[in-house]
Amino acid sequence: MKSLAIRNLSKTYFDAYAGAHVDAVRDVSLEVPEGEFVSIVGPSGCGKTTILNMVAGFIAPSSGEILVGDHAVAGPGPDRGVVFQSFALFPWKTVLENVAFGPKMRGVGKPERERIAREFLSLAGLSHAAERYPNELSGGMQQRVGVARALANEPDVLLMDEPFASVDAQTRMTLQEELTRIWQERRSTVLFITHDVPEAVFLANRVVVLSKGRVLEEVDIPLPRPRRWDALVESDDFKALANQVLQLVRSA
Amino acid sequence: MGWTGRILAGAKFLAPLAVLLVLWPILIRAFNVNPQIFPDITAVARAGLESIRDGSLFAHMGASLARVAVGTVLAILVAVPLGVLMGVSPGVSAFLTPLLRFFSVLAGIAWIPIATLWFGYGFGAITFVIFNAVFFIVAYNTLLGVSTIPMQVRNAAASLGAGRWTMLAEVLLPGALPNIVTGVRTGLGFAWRGLIAAEIIATNIGLGYMIFVARDFYRTEVIVFGMIVIGALWLLIDRLLLAPVERATIERWGMVRSA
Repeated sequence: MKSLAIRNLSKTYFDAYAGAHVDAVRDVSLEVPEGEFVSIVGPSGCGKTTILNMVAGFIAPSSGEILVGDHAVAGPGPDRGVVFQSFALFPWKTVLENVAFGPKMRGVGKPERERIAREFLSLAGLSHAAERYPNELSGGMQQRVGVARALANEPDVLLMDEPFASVDAQTRMTLQEELTRIWQERRSTVLFITHDVPEAVFLANRVVVLSKGRVLEEVDIPLPRPRRWDALVESDDFKALANQVLQLVRSA
Repeated sequence: MGWTGRILAGAKFLAPLAVLLVLWPILIRAFNVNPQIFPDITAVARAGLESIRDGSLFAHMGASLARVAVGTVLAILVAVPLGVLMGVSPGVSAFLTPLLRFFSVLAGIAWIPIATLWFGYGFGAITFVIFNAVFFIVAYNTLLGVSTIPMQVRNAAASLGAGRWTMLAEVLLPGALPNIVTGVRTGLGFAWRGLIAAEIIATNIGLGYMIFVARDFYRTEVIVFGMIVIGALWLLIDRLLLAPVERATIERWGMVRSA
């Protein structure tokens, strides 16, 4: 586990359709200390996914610096695990093989990597589905595999790009509760991208509101853990924080 | 599909053929057809048994199948790496796609004249025709397969530590496999048709040659027997070998759900 530091990060695209340069991310600086859960929230087009893609190393920044621990990011790497909105599982591999993929890339032998994979499948409540293929699972179960696959590689930082946006509302709440439970068990450093304000507040220690490529404001979320929806929906603290963040997002 | 379903499907497929076999001798006798125009079923059966007994059927069949096998394997060996290479480089693939599409619709037998100039009559020219029929379609399908692997899946592999070669072996090839298999099946279908045409023109052994040379002796029963072998052999290869492999990969990969 390590900290994540984003310093003066900018990204300018050339938009061929508009025929102009677009500043997707403008001079964003952000610290995620070791073991902290930070949500970035903002409307579509605010640059939140672009930031995550740069941190993951999928696209190069126009300027600025990204540090994992004291190591500068240059391209994708196993120090940063990614959970995708589209799940991005390998459809030709079983659930077990999907989760064992990271350890396999590290050169871990088959019995050991299967042991690791089963451990993380059990953490994600998926032990019964190990031998199945992703297309045989519901969206919620597929994303559990996505989370287990990222965690099984023991990344320094976990990056989550609207991971629960494409599952139904009931499943989403369950997955959010499971994620807070897993986070408490493992104290991962997490950067979580979402456009869903209650989700951002529910999960995070700190919510960063993004607007037009800039950091508008950071809001600390000192809600006690473990967090559960049935308790929090009644909580005035939760409502006040969610309302505060919502006002910021709407002013964005 | 269970065993009963399979048997039922097989029966449905064979029923019209059985009707044809029954009608055949009746019609031949009813219209008193000259055997030099069209043979009776008994003559065809006799010609078939004769060609099995003297071994000529297996010699022709072996020659044809060997050409198909060699041409196809060579084509896959070259086309798949080329298709993957194109698939990972958008510039190269955009440039080469129109060429591949052009050559993959160009009939295999259109290569015969130039193939016989380059390789002479026989194994080389015909294998070259097969190679072309399979190569362009498989290269194009591999390219298509690689480029349809979602970017996020490749990103996922990279962020889990996959390097250049593991990306190839673990993601690009398996991800493109359903398309590759479809390409091989389609290409082989064209190759088989092209093979018969090429053997009529450019060799002295093979199923195409067998039916063409029989024409010189008005041996319609040999021609018809050869046609039956050519069609049945392809159906067997396609239904028992290629289709199940294609179905298995596509279903396994979950790209088409029990279509």
